[in-house]
Amino acid sequence: MGLINIKNLTFEYFRRDEEGNLEEMIEALKGVSLDVNQGEFIAIVGRNGSGKSTLAKHINALLLPSEGEIIVDGLDTAEEEVRLSVRKTAGMIFQNPDNQIVANLVEEDVAFGPENMGVPTPDIWNRVDESLTTVEMQEYGAHSPNLLSGGQKQRVAIAGVLAMEPKCIIFDEATSMLDPQGREQILFAARQLQKEKKITIIFITHHMDEVVWADRVFVMDKGRIVTHGTPRQIFKQPWVLSRCGLQLPVLYQYIDFLVNNRIVSNDELENVYGEEELIALLCHKYRREHERNENIENRKRLSETQTEAHSATEGILLNHVSYVYGKGFAQESLGLKNVSLQIGKGEFVAVIGETGSGKSTLMQHLNGLLLPQEGEIYFEGKDITDKDFSLKMLRQRVGLVFQNPDNQLFAESVERDVCFGPENMNISRVEAQKRAYEAIGMVGLPDTIYDMSPFQLSGGQKRRVAIAGVLAMKPDYLVLDEPTSGLDPVSARELLELLKRLQVEAGMTVVMVSHKLEEVAEFADRVVVMKQGRKLLDGAVKDVLSQVGALEQAGLLVPVGIKMLYALHREGVDVDVQMIRQEDILEQLLKLRRL
Amino acid sequence: MLRNMTIGQFYNVDSVLHRIDPRVKLNIAFFYIVTLFLDKNPVLFVVAFFALAVQIWLSKVPVRFIFRGMKTISAFILLTGALNLVTVKGANVVWEWGIIRVTEAGVSAAVYTSLRLMMMMIASSMMTYTTSATSLTDGMEKMFGWMRGIGVPVHELAMIMSIAIRFVPVLVEELNRIMKAQMARGVDFREGNLFVRMKKLLPIVVPLFASAVKRSQELALAMDARGYHGGDGRTKMKPLKYRRRDIVAYLVLFLYVMVTVVVAIVL
Repeated sequence: MGLINIKNLTFEYFRRDEEGNLEEMIEALKGVSLDVNQGEFIAIVGRNGSGKSTLAKHINALLLPSEGEIIVDGLDTAEEEVRLSVRKTAGMIFQNPDNQIVANLVEEDVAFGPENMGVPTPDIWNRVDESLTTVEMQEYGAHSPNLLSGGQKQRVAIAGVLAMEPKCIIFDEATSMLDPQGREQILFAARQLQKEKKITIIFITHHMDEVVWADRVFVMDKGRIVTHGTPRQIFKQPWVLSRCGLQLPVLYQYIDFLVNNRIVSNDELENVYGEEELIALLCHKYRREHERNENIENRKRLSETQTEAHSATEGILLNHVSYVYGKGFAQESLGLKNVSLQIGKGEFVAVIGETGSGKSTLMQHLNGLLLPQEGEIYFEGKDITDKDFSLKMLRQRVGLVFQNPDNQLFAESVERDVCFGPENMNISRVEAQKRAYEAIGMVGLPDTIYDMSPFQLSGGQKRRVAIAGVLAMKPDYLVLDEPTSGLDPVSARELLELLKRLQVEAGMTVVMVSHKLEEVAEFADRVVVMKQGRKLLDGAVKDVLSQVGALEQAGLLVPVGIKMLYALHREGVDVDVQMIRQEDILEQLLKLRRL
Repeated sequence: MLRNMTIGQFYNVDSVLHRIDPRVKLNIAFFYIVTLFLDKNPVLFVVAFFALAVQIWLSKVPVRFIFRGMKTISAFILLTGALNLVTVKGANVVWEWGIIRVTEAGVSAAVYTSLRLMMMMIASSMMTYTTSATSLTDGMEKMFGWMRGIGVPVHELAMIMSIAIRFVPVLVEELNRIMKAQMARGVDFREGNLFVRMKKLLPIVVPLFASAVKRSQELALAMDARGYHGGDGRTKMKPLKYRRRDIVAYLVLFLYVMVTVVVAIVL
C-alpha cells in the first residue's frame, strides 16, 4: 500500500446568491483516483480551474471529500480525530509567499508547526535549525520575513513544513508568483528533499517545464485526471496537453520537432534531460570540420549606438536619469543609475531584467509617478519637471497598467470601473461610458461583462479589464508591468497578441516590462535589458538576443532555440543566427536534415 | 512620513533593558505612569525624571531618536498645555487680555500636565523601543493568562495582535501600489474639498480591503495546514521565564514606587 491512496474522490460545492438561494452546484473533482508511493516525485498539472488545487487541499484534510475516500499513511482524512496527524504527515506550501508566514521572525515562523504539535522547547530549536539549514536559510533565522525575496520566503515556508517532519510535501502552485531565480530555488529544494530526505513530493503547477524531473505526471482538466505517465510519455501526447490548455515545454517542442523530422532519434535522446544535453547531442552529431573563428557575439556595442540623446519632439526621452529610494535615510536602495533611453512613437519596446533590476522604477518614470532625482525626462520635447508641465495630461497620454489588477479594480461593475479613468478627466458620464464600451471591446471582452462585478472575473479577464480601464483614457502610450505574470500559457499568449494588435492597428506605442525573453522575442520591436538599475543592452530584438553571454550575465534565461542556433553555428553548421521566432528557428533546424 | 513616527517602533540593539522579560517592562511602564499622577510636587517630578533618564541610559536608545518621536506629538502636548493655561482658574492673575485670563494655578497646571504627558509618552515608548512586537504580545498573553478563567480568549487575542503586526508592512506596501495604480488612472489626491477627497478614498479602500480579506483567508488556511488549533497543547519556542535580572528589575521598580509614595505623602 502506498503513502497516499485516493479512491474515486468527488468534491462538489454550492454557489449561492445573496439571498442564499442555490445558484449552481459546482463539481470541482469528479471521480479522481490516484496512488502515491513513499519517496515519489509526483507532478499534477492543469490550467487554472482544472481542480488541481482542490485535489491538493484534500490530501492535507483542508477539504473533505463529498464522495470517495483519501487515505494518507493509513489514516482516513474524513475522521476528525486524525486530522492533526494527517496534516503532520502531509505538509503544504501555498502559492502566495506572504500569506503563509505567520510570525515576525523567520525562526519563529518555522517553529509555528512544531509549537502547534506540542514539541518540547529544546526540540523545537533543533528542528528549526535543521530545517533552516536544509533550505540554506540558516543565516536568516533572526531576520524579519518582510525583507526577504519571494524565493526566500517560500524556502522559509518549506522549512516551516519540514520542521513538522512530514513524509510528504505538497507544493500548491508554490512557484507561480516567483521570478525565474526564485522558481529555480524552489524546484531545486523540492528535488533535494526527495533525493536526500526521501520525502514524497507532490508538485502542482501549470508550468510544464517544471515537471521534467517528476517520476509521474498527472494531467487534470475539468475536475478529472485526463492522462498520466512519466514526463516523456506525457510529452509524447502534445494534442492531449493542448486540449487541456497546456503547452509542451519549449524544449520538448523542439525535441518533438527534431524526432518527427528524423534529425535525432529516440534512442539518442535516452539521456537528454535538459537543454545542455540536447545542444551537446546536436553539436556532436552535426559538427563540421572547420570551426569558425569569427566572434559573432561582439558585433557592435548596442547600448551605445542606439540612443545617443537627440532632442526629439516625439516620444519619450530619458536623459541620464537616476533615482534612489529612501534618499537620505538609512536604508537607501538603488532604483535607477544614469539611464538614457528613447521611446519612439509607435514602437513596441520590451524592458527586461531580473527582479530588482530597476525595470518597474523605470516604468513609473515614464508617466511621472516618480520624478527623476538626477537627469531629465522629456515628453514630446517638454521637460516633465517644468513648473507649467501638466502631470495630469502626462498620465492621461501615457497609460500605465500595474502588474496586479487587484490593486486597481474597485467598482461594483466592470463598466463603472472602466469609466473611472475617463471620469477623472472631467469627461461627461455619457462620453465616459462610450469610451468604456469601446475600450472593453478593444481588449476582446464581450458586452455581457459590463454589469459583472470585477471581483467575479478570472485572472486573465481581470487583467484585460485593468487594461481597458487605462485604454478608456485614450492614451497614446501604453506601459505595462509584467502583464503576463501568473497567467497560464494560453491566456498569456492571447494577451500578448492583443498588445501587438493595439500597436499595429491602433498605432499605440507599447512599453512592456517582463522577465521572460522568450515571450518578448516574438512581439517586441526593441528590447531594453536592465541590470542593477542600469541599462545593459538596448537594440532591435535580434541584435539583443545575439548577446547570449551578456543576457545570461543579467540573470536572464536565453531561449533554448536561440542557444541551439548559436551552438550549431559555432560548430560550423550553416544556420542563420538572426532568427528569433520559433517557427523560423525550426526552419533553420530543418537544414540539419540535409547534413 | 512613517519614518518619522518613531513612537511604538522597536529599536533593535542589545541592552539590559532589551533582555528583560516583557512582563517586567509592561509593569514598569504601568507603575511609572501611575506614580506620575500621585501628586503635583516638584521633588516627585525630579525623582521621576531621574528614573526616566536611567531607563534611557540603560536602553542604549539614542536620545536623538527619542526626541524625533516626541516631535510628532509635540503639537498635541503644546495644545493641552495651552488649554490648561487659559481654562484653569485661580486667584492670582498673572496676565490678562480681553477675556483671556492666565492665573498662577493655570501656569502650574499647564507645566505639570505637559510634563506628565511628555514623560508618560517617553516611558511607554521606552517599552516599545526595547521590546519586539512578538515578545510584547508574548508578555501580554502570559500576563493576562488568568483572564481565560473569566472567558477572555487571551491566546487568540495575542495571536491576532501578532499577526496584525506582521502584516502592517505588507499592507503599507500594498496601499502604496494601489495609490499609484489609481494615480495612473488620473486621481489627484490633493485636489478638491473634504467631501471630494473622502470620495477619492473609495478606489483605495476597496482594493485594500479586498486584498486584506483574501490574505486573511489564505493565512487561515495555511495556519490550519500547519496544525494550528488554538492555544491548548501548544508549546513555545521561546517560553517566558523569569531570570535573576528580572527579579532585580522588579525590586528596583518596587523601591522606586515606595520612594515616590513616601515623597508624595511626606512632602
